[in-house]
Amino acid sequence: MPKYVAKRVAYMVVVFFVISFIMYFIYNLIPGDPAAISLESIRDELTADEYEQMYQQARARLGLDDPIFIRYLRWLGVYPSVNGDFNGVFQGNLGYSTMYKQNVVDVIASPLQNTIFLNVFSTILALVITIPLGIFCAVRKNSKFDQAIQVVTIVGYSIPIYIIGLVFIYLFAVKLQIFPVGGVKTSGVTLTGFAALKDKLYYMCLPLIVTTFANLGSMTRYVRAAMIDALSMDYVRTARAKGLTEKVVIYSHAWRNALLPIVTVIIGWFLTIFSGSVVVENTFSFLGMGALNVTGLNQSDYELVLAIQLFYTIISLVGILITDISYGLIDPRVRVDK
Amino acid sequence: MENKRVKGFSLRVWARRLFFGPAKELNFLEEEQVQSPMRSMIKRFLHNKVAMTGVTIFVACLLLVIIGPIFLPLDLSFSDATQQNVPPTMSLASPPKALLDDVKEISAGTTYGIGCTNSGEVYTWGYTKITSTIDLANIPDEVKEDKIVQVSAGFDHCLALGESGKLYVWGNKRLGQGDIPNKAQKGLNFVQVEAGNQYSAALTDEGYLYLWGNGSADVKVKKEFQNHIKKVALGDFGYVSLMDDGSVKYTGYNTSSAYANIPEALSGDVVDIAGTSGTFVGIKSDGSMYFWGNISHNENQVPEYEGKVISIYGGRYHYTALLDNGDMISWGDDHFHQTQVPAKLAKGEKKAAQIFTGYYQNYVVTEDGDLLTWGLKGYLMGTDYLGRDIFTRLVNGGRVTMTVGAVSVIITMILGLLIGGFSGYFGGVLDMVLMRVAEVISGIPFLPFALILSSIIPSSVSLTQRMYLIMVVLGLLSWPSLARLVRAQVLAVREQEYVMAAKAMGVKEISIVFRHIIPNILSVILVNVTLSFATCMLTESSLSYLGFGIIPPTPTWGNMLTGCNNSVVIQQYWWRWVFPAAIFGICTIAINLIGDGLRDAVDPKAEER
Repeated sequence: MPKYVAKRVAYMVVVFFVISFIMYFIYNLIPGDPAAISLESIRDELTADEYEQMYQQARARLGLDDPIFIRYLRWLGVYPSVNGDFNGVFQGNLGYSTMYKQNVVDVIASPLQNTIFLNVFSTILALVITIPLGIFCAVRKNSKFDQAIQVVTIVGYSIPIYIIGLVFIYLFAVKLQIFPVGGVKTSGVTLTGFAALKDKLYYMCLPLIVTTFANLGSMTRYVRAAMIDALSMDYVRTARAKGLTEKVVIYSHAWRNALLPIVTVIIGWFLTIFSGSVVVENTFSFLGMGALNVTGLNQSDYELVLAIQLFYTIISLVGILITDISYGLIDPRVRVDK
Repeated sequence: MENKRVKGFSLRVWARRLFFGPAKELNFLEEEQVQSPMRSMIKRFLHNKVAMTGVTIFVACLLLVIIGPIFLPLDLSFSDATQQNVPPTMSLASPPKALLDDVKEISAGTTYGIGCTNSGEVYTWGYTKITSTIDLANIPDEVKEDKIVQVSAGFDHCLALGESGKLYVWGNKRLGQGDIPNKAQKGLNFVQVEAGNQYSAALTDEGYLYLWGNGSADVKVKKEFQNHIKKVALGDFGYVSLMDDGSVKYTGYNTSSAYANIPEALSGDVVDIAGTSGTFVGIKSDGSMYFWGNISHNENQVPEYEGKVISIYGGRYHYTALLDNGDMISWGDDHFHQTQVPAKLAKGEKKAAQIFTGYYQNYVVTEDGDLLTWGLKGYLMGTDYLGRDIFTRLVNGGRVTMTVGAVSVIITMILGLLIGGFSGYFGGVLDMVLMRVAEVISGIPFLPFALILSSIIPSSVSLTQRMYLIMVVLGLLSWPSLARLVRAQVLAVREQEYVMAAKAMGVKEISIVFRHIIPNILSVILVNVTLSFATCMLTESSLSYLGFGIIPPTPTWGNMLTGCNNSVVIQQYWWRWVFPAAIFGICTIAINLIGDGLRDAVDPKAEER
């Protein structure tokens, strides 16, 4: 097992470097010359020759003439920069946000918290609802209740999340006025301690409900399908024949075996949820990584965007890694195979 | 040749069986034998009621977006401040019954109409709300009490003239529309009152003109012309006057505007004038017409006609004229069919007694007392914040959304088939490399990455090219899952006997993959492709919703919902989000139902789930 884990981790590290290089490469495709931008303020005071000289100096100082691979390693912080020190992502320097006039690290601290909280919480909430529901539907397959749930879930996973968001805003924020339409906290009021947390949770409620609701459909269907597969196995029949109670058959025999596909797929979904939260955060003007990403792109704040992309990549790769490892844990055959 | 004959034959048999039943009754054993796997698959699919409902709905949506744009062509550059946020209604040109029996005057406004009867009652109809608080249908009590003899509908206010010469204004008064000059309030004898683009004009029988309202228009009269004016015609930002000596004069101060550039020929002998938003026309007594102003919507392209024009009326971008033989013609902008005169009137079968034209509507009362209207009747699904018809955008946007979805699915399918097929069949190093590439791409966070890719598309790229690039981006990012599926299927099928047989016969490897293996796994691919069609449509619409996919003015079902996430739109302008959301939701549900049905048909075991 440790060998398998180590192999997977090493593999993911390689993939991380490949993806981050692709992203860095795309980032460099964006039109705009940092050297010219740094001289923009003093351009009018210089003659053409002086400007050219200073421009070349700036290019050298920023290392713009080096090949892209060297610049990529510098950005990561594994290759010394022009003045010899290591100053990159691994040293905690994610760049400078032109929009907020702050270091990117400081800018993303709070949105990062919001996003992770929103997504983790909604995943847990979705699991708490879908697993019992899926098992129940599988056990009472083709009953009226099951058929109703089937219809609801297909509607749930077909409709785009922002439409669900709009409908929920209409119902809960406009008609019933239980929740606010959007935002992260009550503006104009400084709250501290518990009151601040309560306020934050209050604003998070509707995005949370929408994210959870949007994920119910596909998750329930998947849990149900996996459970039906497991229930049709011979060992379940044997267990029943042995005279075990239905409870033991379902939870101890069938459920354990249904867990394998469920775990892998649901961890995979965890990433999709993160992607989906880009849309939810924008619909609710909820200050998270997704909303920040879109604002950053709109404001051409590309160092910020690059940092956020890095975050999503890490989330995605960690997700795949956990899927692989849990696969290996649950099903020993996988380890041998790979 | 041989093959073709057989094909034709089977088609004939199929048709015969469809309409007349089998040639002879088969017993069940024989029937069982003729069922090929493909046929039983189709049969299972056709018997799946839920899936067939999905097919029906999807085909209906597809027909709507394919045929719809032919009848509802989209004008990308169209936007109109007078038509903003109009709710779904088809009764913008339906005056109340009480008015129709006794019409004295009708005036057509932006999205509403106002009229008065011979007994002095005032009626409004259509969409009369200007803001959430101002509603033109709230006729002031003093107007209701007085006997009204003339009414006029403006951009956002109404003007009425009482029997005793008192003027009334209601509606939006924020820009001075209600500041009637004191002198005009002394019970003068007015012959013409006109409400225009946030300003009003009132002309006395002595030829003295009063003007008031929004100062961005030229609302002043030069002293020397006063007491000589016979008729005024209003444009958006200025007016012209017909003088008592038969000439047309620009009587305001802003003589450098295009409105003041009156043709030489109109210096005498003029019988009628009319104005649209930016142009004016004058008719001489011999029926000849002269146009001037900012001609933008073919206002001067008069169709062929026989006879002589005797009177003319101006809408927002069109003119309607009455000829001496009783015929009517209309020309100019035809966006709302406001120049399509009903056949009875155009051919003079019915004679017009009264003609009222304004904005996008025409009202004609015939000599036998009928009311005929043409032009803007309403909007099936309302309009958006730029005054664009939502239904037209929905139909055209659906075509864009479906095209993007279909093309990106085709790209996905080609890439997935090729890469998965090669990888699975040849294995070894090629498989290693291709699958590692697939893993890297599926490790990329999809939506954020698509966002950054579409945002680096330079702004110099045209809208159409941008659309193609979006399709390519979606296709390039979504092939790995299909490739993996194809690879797994190929790995399973590769070991089958018929593949070995083909190999033994010396069939080329490439044709083994594409002619023996791929057809056998086609059904599984079909299911996947159907489901990823829905996914691609969803992704495109999410991108467009965020403002990074297809960008306005090109409509898609996603970007029609951009900016709808605030409580004002959600509550007050519900038609702006309900219709696009509903049709998109229905469409994706239908596609998913089809996909599910196909999966059940392909894999009968799944039906048990």
